Amino acid sequence: MKRLFEGRMRNKQLLSWLAVGVLVGALLLPLVISIPLLAEEFEDAALEQAAFAEETLGEDVPAQEIGYDVHYGDEGIVQGPPAPVTSDNENDYPRYNFESRVIIWVANQQHLYYGSFVLAVPIFVMIIEFIGMVTKDRAMAQKYDTLAYDFIKISITAYSITAILGGVLVFTFMILYPAFWTYMTKIFHPAMHIYVLLFLAESGTLYIYYYGWDAMREGLLKWVHLSMAVFLNVFGTVLMMLANSWATFMMSPAGVDAEGQYLGNIWLAVHNHLWNPVNIHRILGNMVFGGGIVAAYAAYRFLSAKNDEERAHYDWMGYVAMFIAVAFLIPLPFAGYYLMREVYAYRQQMGITLMGGLLAWLFIIQAVLIGALFLTTNYYLWQGMERMRGAERYQKYIKYMTFVLIVCFLVWLTPHTMVMTPTELKEMGGQQHPVVGNYGVMSAKNGAVNIIITTTVLSFLLYQRCNKIPTVPWARYGNIALWALFSVAFVNIIWLAIYGYYIPANVRVGLSVPQVVSTLSCLFIGMTINLFMMRGAKPTGPVEWGKISVRSQYALFMLATSFTWMMGLMGYIRSSVRLHWHVNEIMRDNSPWAFTHTIGFAANMISFNVLFFWVTLLFVFWLGSLGTKKAVVEKGRAAPVAALAPSTN
Amino acid sequence: MPGFIEGMMPVQLLAEILLIIVIFVLGAMILDKKMGIRIPMLLQAALVFIAGWWYYKFRIEPPLPFSVRAIYQVMIAIGIFMWVSSAEKGWTEFKRPILAVLDAKTPLTWWVRAVLLVVLPLSASGMAYKNLLPSLGEPIELRTVHPAPPAAVTVHGKKFPLQTSESPVRVDESGEYSNHIQDAHVMDNPFDPDSIQYMQNVKEGGDIFFQNCHFCHGDNLNGRGLYAYAFNPIPANFTDPGTLAQLQETFVFWRVAKGGPGLPREGFPWASAMPPWEQHLTTEEIWKVILFEYWHTKYPPRTWDE
Ligand code: HEC
Repeated sequence: MKRLFEGRMRNKQLLSWLAVGVLVGALLLPLVISIPLLAEEFEDAALEQAAFAEETLGEDVPAQEIGYDVHYGDEGIVQGPPAPVTSDNENDYPRYNFESRVIIWVANQQHLYYGSFVLAVPIFVMIIEFIGMVTKDRAMAQKYDTLAYDFIKISITAYSITAILGGVLVFTFMILYPAFWTYMTKIFHPAMHIYVLLFLAESGTLYIYYYGWDAMREGLLKWVHLSMAVFLNVFGTVLMMLANSWATFMMSPAGVDAEGQYLGNIWLAVHNHLWNPVNIHRILGNMVFGGGIVAAYAAYRFLSAKNDEERAHYDWMGYVAMFIAVAFLIPLPFAGYYLMREVYAYRQQMGITLMGGLLAWLFIIQAVLIGALFLTTNYYLWQGMERMRGAERYQKYIKYMTFVLIVCFLVWLTPHTMVMTPTELKEMGGQQHPVVGNYGVMSAKNGAVNIIITTTVLSFLLYQRCNKIPTVPWARYGNIALWALFSVAFVNIIWLAIYGYYIPANVRVGLSVPQVVSTLSCLFIGMTINLFMMRGAKPTGPVEWGKISVRSQYALFMLATSFTWMMGLMGYIRSSVRLHWHVNEIMRDNSPWAFTHTIGFAANMISFNVLFFWVTLLFVFWLGSLGTKKAVVEKGRAAPVAALAPSTN
Repeated sequence: MPGFIEGMMPVQLLAEILLIIVIFVLGAMILDKKMGIRIPMLLQAALVFIAGWWYYKFRIEPPLPFSVRAIYQVMIAIGIFMWVSSAEKGWTEFKRPILAVLDAKTPLTWWVRAVLLVVLPLSASGMAYKNLLPSLGEPIELRTVHPAPPAAVTVHGKKFPLQTSESPVRVDESGEYSNHIQDAHVMDNPFDPDSIQYMQNVKEGGDIFFQNCHFCHGDNLNGRGLYAYAFNPIPANFTDPGTLAQLQETFVFWRVAKGGPGLPREGFPWASAMPPWEQHLTTEEIWKVILFEYWHTKYPPRTWDE
């Protein structure tokens, strides 16, 4: 009997590993399409076809026109009309008595907000469901499962809103920018068809996934259920990458010749210069954004909770969501750096418009927002210490960490070009301040932001240790190692930041690598050492979920709104860097709105979009709470112990 | 008070702030532990805030523009809030006097309340008055210091695409363009008659600079030439890492050739006094003076693909 049982266990394990393998394989699928090999095949096929046509038909056919790819320089057969030359009239730019660009701006932004939210949530639903399935502790496992279900429930309403907004967006394009839209569809129609099909597949999977949650609870079916989450994410990611290719085509066109004539290779048009950098940046960004929104949802439910169980549940949910958001926030700046690098490599002009020119002032706002994100994260973690007994040991360090963070932010926020009156300028004797101006350059900023991230990691480590006293025999050495690790990292980062002043710019760029390595090694090595040290640690008390200050929940709101605002801002920057082009250097925007708005107007528009999004989202939350009210209370009652159990996180 | 030491300024500033905080923390600790006097949280917070304000207003020379000080002060306030409200105990202690002023019934709080009721509206109206008073100062202009360049410039009838052009005078011994030649020769003597072609180009560039540019850009290339302060915007400071060092050589070529009049539309407010040098120098002279500027400041031009 026992043997049989063991055998079954082993089978089950095998099956699990298989399933995991399939999961990983399916997740990697989208990457496969970005392998350029495929492109060559396409191209060869096209050329062969042309050669074949020439051969068989001989001289009778008119010679086919050959064009050269604007970006890749490849030869291709012209297969489409040149980009239309529009002019400011009602035919090319039909209009209401209103600025068309503002309409398209709002339609785009709202679709993007909802789109990224519904793309992000299934990713972490998948992760959380998986964690739930491999967690041994039954109560905990159940808790994770409920959480995953809660997440997907919010996204289901959002999903239909996304679809509606997508429709609105397409119609807005067709109505207000018909010439541009026709041109785009002529090139991208095959991709657009795939897009629609994928969308159908995604909807189907999502609905089965959601409504089949309870039916597919046990055994193998649960794995099938999880693999559906994987497919959901594969579809979603490919969808997003397709849509990205249209946006990046507009910035860095490829696959067409200098007149904008399509050369027959859709892959080149999709795989344009900025496609992959934007893909990576957007996937990470979506995760951060999705985590932020769910955290805000949890905060909303926490604040409106009627009893302790609900409060405990939503406190925990907010914590997990915040954790996800921050985990993806940390690599985001690096992805941003990569994107900027590629922009510069593509066109110096575009890079300068972004970072040094017309749009540079907006980057200062971005710096402020990034600051807000990291400060809020730290603040939330410190507030979280309150719910653990034994935290007093670490709370006394908070003031020093605040100090370090604030000083770094003073450096981080020091603008290179200061806003000042001419009188102040004369008093200062130059655009750059001799003392403080030194903080305006890359070297100082890199140092500051790395210290900020490292300090955030430190906050998190302390948070993890709050309610535990290590008992492993090497605890003393472990502590020494952690001290040494962080001290060396801090010294290293600061030293390199100073050293960076004395060396040329192109060498300095190289310095950011060891700085980042310091930061990341604190993150990974520090976390690992800490994790092992906390094995079998003596708890000083459970995590009392729900016993967190109200301030912390407002911090979560702050986090989510900052993300939203930042996304609106960066999206605007990315899009308006094309200046007066629909498609950069290929199709000119000749509408009366082809100018760059003032900073104030742009900021107001972004705020409007943020506000609009949050108001509609509150409606979604409210809908979500209508359905859950009963369920959570029942579940809460069923597992009150679970809800109060210390988390492993 | 000793001033800021040239070359150490950014580090010195941070060290001084650190020192102030250390004195503050130690002082509070000694008062608390040795003499049993505990400074109330609210007072501590106020002290930190005022110290920050004092430091940036009076310690930093030359004075900082208001916009920057405002950013700093807001950051300090946020930091103070994070610190006092990080733990429930401190937060309660911090709030207590404030709440007491709002509703406690002791004579002291009554007086404080009364005074505040008079002082707050008065200072608000004072501020409003100050803001509304018309000032004679010129308004703030947000200048785009480095506007995006055109894709190509035409100088003396020749077209230079900025993405791909290279300086014809930044050459190594074999006459080929080289990114590294400057690094190898930053310490060389430009007046050495036997030096390589590159150094001779630098020397000729230097001649051109001192004949044409140094009146404005200064003989140390730091933007403080004889006429510098007559202009708004003032001439660029090439020793600042924010100018030459972060630009590609072709960008600088475009700026020198076309000057202030050649600024694109986004180069608001187009009031630059920088002359369009194509009217006075040959193409080669322009490249040479740029070569000199990079050589003298020891910054290499920005390059992307390497
Ligand atoms: C009449 C004064 C004057 C003279 C003479 C002058 N400049 Fe300028 N220059 C300026 C001013 C003012 C600016 C800043 C405004 C601007 O960017 O146009 C400037 C900016 C520049 C810039 C742009 C730097 C940047 O960061 O964008 C370069 C390069 C430059 N000057 C090179 C030269 C060279 C080379 C010469 C000599 C051949 C020269 N200048 C002579 C006034 C002058």
